[in-house]
Amino acid sequence: MHRLLFIAVLVSTLPLPVAAQELRLPNKPGSVKFAVIGDTGTGDRNQLAIANELASWRTRYPFDFAVMMGDNIYGGERPSDFDKKFAIPYKPLLDAGVKFYAALGNHDDPALQRNYKPFNMNGERFYSFRPQNGVRFFALDSNYVDKAQLEWLDKELAASGSGWKIMFFHHPLYSSGETHGSAEQQRALLEPLFLKHGVNVVLSGHEHFYERIKPQKGIAYFIIGSSAKLRKGDLQKSDLTAFGDDGEYAFMLMEIAGDELFFQTINQSGKTIDVGSVKRVGKAEPGSGRSAQPVVPQAKPSPAQPGPRQSK
Amino acid sequence: MKLIRILVVALFTVSCGRASTSERTDHKSDDSAATSGETRQPVATPEPATQPNQGEKPAAALTPVAEQAKATGVNPDAAVLADFKSRIDAYMKLRKEAVKDAPRLKETKDPAKIKAAQDAMSIQIRAARANATHGDIFTPEITAKFRRLLAPELKGDEGRDAKAIIKDDAPTNIPFKVNAKYPEGAPVPTVPASLLVNLPTLPEPLQFRIIEKHLILLDEDADIIVDYALNIIK
Repeated sequence: MHRLLFIAVLVSTLPLPVAAQELRLPNKPGSVKFAVIGDTGTGDRNQLAIANELASWRTRYPFDFAVMMGDNIYGGERPSDFDKKFAIPYKPLLDAGVKFYAALGNHDDPALQRNYKPFNMNGERFYSFRPQNGVRFFALDSNYVDKAQLEWLDKELAASGSGWKIMFFHHPLYSSGETHGSAEQQRALLEPLFLKHGVNVVLSGHEHFYERIKPQKGIAYFIIGSSAKLRKGDLQKSDLTAFGDDGEYAFMLMEIAGDELFFQTINQSGKTIDVGSVKRVGKAEPGSGRSAQPVVPQAKPSPAQPGPRQSK
Repeated sequence: MKLIRILVVALFTVSCGRASTSERTDHKSDDSAATSGETRQPVATPEPATQPNQGEKPAAALTPVAEQAKATGVNPDAAVLADFKSRIDAYMKLRKEAVKDAPRLKETKDPAKIKAAQDAMSIQIRAARANATHGDIFTPEITAKFRRLLAPELKGDEGRDAKAIIKDDAPTNIPFKVNAKYPEGAPVPTVPASLLVNLPTLPEPLQFRIIEKHLILLDEDADIIVDYALNIIK
């Protein structure tokens, strides 16, 4: 029997600590720990700075994998570019066994990257993986949202009994960026599926800044496309913006523990610029073929709080 | 006008006399006539990259598949799409045969091996399609049909949005040439989803891409431009 369950995604922000380099995640045993990076593949010192911060933070927060929001290799994609723009910057993490899961950006060569084993795409443009029971990630190719991909996503989401369904892909469905803005075309096709199947969190890049979007129809959206490139002044804070920063390179650390997803966004100097959590209310029924329909934020004003004050 | 007619007849005659390939059908000659803005070369030599601004003439007067369909009581639009599918199927069949002995594209941590497999695949497909020319897949009537399919999506706010997506990080150095390699390092432009859902679904690894106002059919694994249709976007 399919029982309709209700999940509300609540985003709350926590006061930032005095010491901005302090880990603000619970770091619980058995939780799902991961990093989020986007628009990384420059091979320049900015990518390296963020890569070094990631490696440094991992000594305190042992995340198991990292998800990449696309534009993983900018420009040439010769074998030496894969070294310069990926394997070398993240070598400490790769050597430590951290797995990277990539989504394709508009600067990526699909055939090369989906077959590049360290990107863990299994030779596919779009795929899913389950790091732990109850949590499933879906990587989409937002450059080419065709019928085949939509049908796959619909089936894959329907078959997933996971209570946490996390999407990641390149183009942000909601954005306050001046250069690109919201990817409304992709949104028109993807959002109905997200709502139908109870997607909780959507991670994207493309915009070279960090933006936490106010929950949209019960789904939490983050843009993190500033892990190697930055477009200063491009973020035009809007009604969509819960918090944003286009002045610093950044990456995210995330942790899923039970019904809560905690996030901490950190800049190239190791300072925390945003922190908070996304709460999932209710439980999915594993194996029911159906999870949840987020309804609360549709019916009531967004529960999101304004972004936290900047850490000093 | 008289001169154009003479040229059309001449091209028709020449193309009828050419050796046909497995992908080519009887009305290939009509395609040549309708793409009279291009330079046509002997089949043994690669054609030069077409300059997009040369344009492509509408194919309204020459629609053999649609006409045949109408004569036999079949929906002409469906017949044109079926013709497109049969051309795609023919490409896939040829491709499968061409790459059967080439190294497979498979997951590896060594990008040099992926690149080598891609290059080998590309060489084999090109060799198998040495006689392929512009219009083998995007015949004039298929091109015209695609224009009609996309036209409603290019109007109003959505249309402006679609055009903005096409311009976003658009590559500038794409050769409009059958069998040409998609330039290494060039962005692979995002296809507006509203346009994509109105086009036929392609089998992997074929994809549509829109470069400025033109549509290319890309073999994504081999990085080969299979065919192209000029001025698909108005």
